[in-house]
Amino acid sequence: MIQVEQLSVNYGAVRALRDVSFDAPTGQITAVLGANGAGKTTLLRTISGLVTPQRGRIRLGDVELVGVATENIARLGVGHVPEGRGVIEELTVEENLRLGALSSKVNLSEGLDEQYARFPVLGERRKRHCSTLSGGERQMLAMARALIAKPRVLLLDEPSLGLAPQVTAQLMKSIRQLCDSQRLTVVLVEQNAKSALRIAHQAVVLHLGSVVASGDAATVAADEDLRRYYLGVVVP
Amino acid sequence: MHNIFGGLAQGVIYSLVALSLVIIWQSTHVLNFAQGAMGMFATYIGMTEIDRGLGYWWCVVLSVLVGMALGGATERVLIRPLYGKPEINPIVVMVGFLGVLEALAAAIWTSTTRNITEPFSQIYYQSHGHLVFLSPFVIFQILLAMGIMLTIAALFRFTKLGLQLRASALAPEVSRLLGVRVSRMLTIGWILSAGVGAIAAVIVASGSFGLFPTNMDGIFVAGFIAAAVGGLESPIGAVAGGLLIGLAEQFILAYWSPNVAPLGGIIILVVALMIRPQGLFSKNVSRRV
Amino acid sequence: MSWWTTLIKQETTRSRVLAVTLLTLLTLAITFILPPVADSELAGGAAIAIVILGLSWLIGWSGQISLGNSGFMAVGAYAAGIWAHHHTTTPLLFTFVLAIVAGGLSGLVIAIPSTRLRGPYLAGMTLAFSAAITPLAQNFTSVTGGEGGLFLNSLVTPHWFTNLFSGPNAAIDANAQWTADLAVVVAGVMFFIMANLFHSRVGRAMRLVRDNEVAAELMGVHLSRTRTMAFVIAAAFAGLGGALYSLLEASVRPETFPLTLSITLLTLMVLGGIGTLSGAVLGGIIFSFSATLVAHVNSLTGVNPTSNVGANMQGIIFGVLLIVTMLFAPRGLVSVKNPLRRLFRARPLMRSAKEVH
Repeated sequence: MIQVEQLSVNYGAVRALRDVSFDAPTGQITAVLGANGAGKTTLLRTISGLVTPQRGRIRLGDVELVGVATENIARLGVGHVPEGRGVIEELTVEENLRLGALSSKVNLSEGLDEQYARFPVLGERRKRHCSTLSGGERQMLAMARALIAKPRVLLLDEPSLGLAPQVTAQLMKSIRQLCDSQRLTVVLVEQNAKSALRIAHQAVVLHLGSVVASGDAATVAADEDLRRYYLGVVVP
Repeated sequence: MHNIFGGLAQGVIYSLVALSLVIIWQSTHVLNFAQGAMGMFATYIGMTEIDRGLGYWWCVVLSVLVGMALGGATERVLIRPLYGKPEINPIVVMVGFLGVLEALAAAIWTSTTRNITEPFSQIYYQSHGHLVFLSPFVIFQILLAMGIMLTIAALFRFTKLGLQLRASALAPEVSRLLGVRVSRMLTIGWILSAGVGAIAAVIVASGSFGLFPTNMDGIFVAGFIAAAVGGLESPIGAVAGGLLIGLAEQFILAYWSPNVAPLGGIIILVVALMIRPQGLFSKNVSRRV
Repeated sequence: MSWWTTLIKQETTRSRVLAVTLLTLLTLAITFILPPVADSELAGGAAIAIVILGLSWLIGWSGQISLGNSGFMAVGAYAAGIWAHHHTTTPLLFTFVLAIVAGGLSGLVIAIPSTRLRGPYLAGMTLAFSAAITPLAQNFTSVTGGEGGLFLNSLVTPHWFTNLFSGPNAAIDANAQWTADLAVVVAGVMFFIMANLFHSRVGRAMRLVRDNEVAAELMGVHLSRTRTMAFVIAAAFAGLGGALYSLLEASVRPETFPLTLSITLLTLMVLGGIGTLSGAVLGGIIFSFSATLVAHVNSLTGVNPTSNVGANMQGIIFGVLLIVTMLFAPRGLVSVKNPLRRLFRARPLMRSAKEVH
């Protein structure tokens, strides 16, 4: 379970996050929604320790994350698939996966087998350099790389970016399956509110750094005002 | 060309220096101008133990260890505070460090050239009454340097550490998100680089050039040019560049005039950059450093 | 208040003339007060200040790092020196012009491959140049006099000046005084020229290229020509400074211009303040009294100046100073509102910006 309390982040004069508080319950998908610039990516980066907040706390279970180095947060079982996926192009598919497994105690060959079983395409391309991968394949690789370490928490930053609708739908289904089967705590940042809300249990809506709505995903999805003003979904 | 071996022998030293520069460049985007001087200093510390009766090979090991420690310390103390600052700052700091090391070495051990008792004979072989410019020492030089380079290559390519080092250099943020201790990797990069540089310095000191505070100046310049010619991004390019310069020097010596030799490196650099401004081996399209 | 500000900022030619003249006269007055030994040191400092001016221009205002200035100094010094050695009655002005031209030409030659380079590549290129100079000078013995160098005798004190002095050492004292005054005047002239350059179109173009290449190109400024110009100017100044320095030493030798001199120049420039005129003055002053400074440090720490440690103390001190300054006060001792950050186009050392899909 991740608990965010009164989190505030400033970039100089710009206030990226203002007093953000919410809980991401264990075993559930919490969608973080909002327009561009709402602070969603900053939120994930703060949880991962890449950004230091001016105020506020972040708890993973009973461990305080603020002030902990990023690599140590990762080793605590927080897997973060960053904006743009962060696939290292100059390395091969397998090297990216090996990298993901390095800092955990997972058995490498078992881990590799598991991920190749889950994503056969990656198995086919295992020796290829990542510059040759398509958008969808990169997304799979980024997920596999995060999953191979058997994380407790998964932070996903706009996984559907640049993907075709069918691929997105498939992707979202897989995320939900993974969450259910492995009791992961997932924080899913998405601009594509519709597809995110379909699989999420909880939702948090950010606008200009503040939380404007939070709660049950279905309730948030049904709220017309929210959809119109903050989620950019045109009400038919 | 009669002195290919001489060219190769000198060339592998340049390759070692170039390789050490590339390792640091790839991980921290710093050009370590003090690389040669650090190797020289480590060699002084290691080799003076010979006077106390320590065997040659132990001294070599000692020099390399001292060099590595020096590299790690330099990264922690001098370079780390400069992350995020303008690119020019670490260049200037390293240049200052170069000055300090050379002056300090002269202060402690004087500027007189020392010749290390050679582990291998430097007398050239003869074949059919002609001199073949190959001696046991030259063979040792070439083999040792190639051995080191292959070891480093294997380290980067096949080991866990090597993967982490490469990832930290290519994508530091993503690597941290994957739990890689990137800052530790940067220090290790400097340690490795300094070790390679120390070996180059040991070889130079053990040869006919001898050990004196400024002995690595010209070699550093040639090594830098080799790295530049190969493109600072490419270890293979660095090695190839070193060999190229070594051979080209022999060419100039044989067919032009020894007086012009100091300009050899510059000439090669200019020509190479005019042909291909991004370095002969680099994959980047533009060299906007 | 505004009169004073105009003087400092030197925005009009008149204020520049005034400022430089005042400073020069002041320094000349000082030379009369100082003992002859200090005068010689001051003279050396003046020569170095000229070089630093050029270096500051190159690094500070055009944003190109160069470690090659000791090489340019050597070119100017040897060009002037070789001529003066064989033609002892050449007017001084001619010798100086020769040094400037030679320096400038070498700057042009080096600039051609260099202006395409940035950062470390450029630094390395210029390093290669200055590292090659000493061996070259040693090799071409017939021309340069090899290791021993060439003897120069051009700074002859005129009789009317010597007659102003009395006492057992009148001739020597007069010579020291004369050479110091000469150096100060030359330095003053060069400062004036530099101040004008700074405010001229050339100077503005240079700073524009440094700060914002795209804007510069849009304005029709030719990028590589401007950068080349910077090298030429810096090298010309360095050539003159080198020639003056050698004339003061009465000889031009390879060991006068080692690689470490480039490091020293860098240190002085950084200490004084990169890209400022007053910084160059400060750098020159520090150089003048560096020998005395080092002697003080030696006596403080009880080191014998003729021992190894003592002889190398200067190198150690300068190196340490450079490191410490860059780590803690990169803007130097002269705090000036210089857009130093924009100047060096800050790029993060760790390439976190280069994240990849």
